[in-house]
Amino acid sequence: MSAPAGADAEIVRRIQHGDIRAAARLITRVEQGDAVAPMLRALTPAGRERRVVGITGAPGVGKSTLVDQLVARWRGRGERVGVLAVDPSSPLSGGAILGDRVRMARHNADPGVFIRSMAARGRLGGLAAATGDALIVLEALPLDRILVETVGIGQSEVDILLHAHTVVVVHSPLAGDAVQAMKSGVIEIADIHVVNRMDVPGADRMATQLREIAAGNVLARAWRVPVLKTQAVAGAGIDEFDAAVLAHLAYRGSTAEQAGARRRTPFAR
Amino acid sequence: MTSSPIRCLLAMLGTDVHSKGIRTLARLLRDHGVEVVYLGEHNTPEGLVSAVKAEDPDVVGLSFSTATYLHYTKLLMDQLQASGLAEVPVMLGGLVHREDEPALHAMGVKGVFGPGSTPAQVLEFLSKVTGKLLDLPAGG
Repeated sequence: MSAPAGADAEIVRRIQHGDIRAAARLITRVEQGDAVAPMLRALTPAGRERRVVGITGAPGVGKSTLVDQLVARWRGRGERVGVLAVDPSSPLSGGAILGDRVRMARHNADPGVFIRSMAARGRLGGLAAATGDALIVLEALPLDRILVETVGIGQSEVDILLHAHTVVVVHSPLAGDAVQAMKSGVIEIADIHVVNRMDVPGADRMATQLREIAAGNVLARAWRVPVLKTQAVAGAGIDEFDAAVLAHLAYRGSTAEQAGARRRTPFAR
Repeated sequence: MTSSPIRCLLAMLGTDVHSKGIRTLARLLRDHGVEVVYLGEHNTPEGLVSAVKAEDPDVVGLSFSTATYLHYTKLLMDQLQASGLAEVPVMLGGLVHREDEPALHAMGVKGVFGPGSTPAQVLEFLSKVTGKLLDLPAGG
């Protein structure tokens, strides 16, 4: 396999030096299915520090607003942030309305924030088929942190596990009782649970049920899964959320259990 | 449809709050297979240029219901030019006076869709400037 030469090598170099337009154009080519494997290989990091935080949860629970708040906190500390926001494609037309970044609009003009919207294009696990390769491009930019927001998911879509070091599952206060919380699926993959809209009745009960599940996790790891409450629009609970994310990223970077592979694989039959 | 979907960034500039037009257009484009990067209301030219750079759309659509379109469009077109993004086609729609169309075209706007414009005209324009085909929704 040959290394990229000429114009392609220049693109690789530019991206590594922070050229947003070059990165954006390459992500477009990735989405189009162009033959860019040599460039992606050249961009793939070897043992990078920065980590990827995945935000997932049902439609409308507040994922984008939480992303917006996290970006604001991290920018406040001078960190450069990349965001990959995925929305579903229409099952009827194949088109899409990519409406996540509209909730992060205050960061539009900030040169320290890169936000890219992607359509799932028929892929069912919560992300687009091209998300993994698009992440390679993002990770090659000189960014300090990266957030990936999945589409609004149901119970079974766990692709985020493949791409994020830290998985945050966001819950609505109203989404069910203790038996529901016990069921298999995306609840199991959370490193951090967030019950958003904590001003809505039911939030405390939801948090209690999630704590019961998290505490009883028989696959006991050194990381105790916290259950947090937020009101993302009002900015409540965000400091604790931020601290939990940073703590888990540090945990992923520090223990022998987690230090190696970024990706965790779902159970395969 | 085998070619890649059209990516169209839609935005309103300034303090204009009448977003029904842009939301209607977003759904129309989605129904014809377009991936709409929806930026909504209250965008500044700087923010919009930054979004265009990161999202790499095939076309940018601006929606105006106030008389500020000449002012904001000039700012935007100048900044797109300065940022090396002049080749991204820009279309503009909404409450635009016919006599302002030459000025908008002179600024570099490629399509103007004032009152009376039809969805078919917008779709035909998109197809033309991007060189990509447009899907029709299932069931016609």
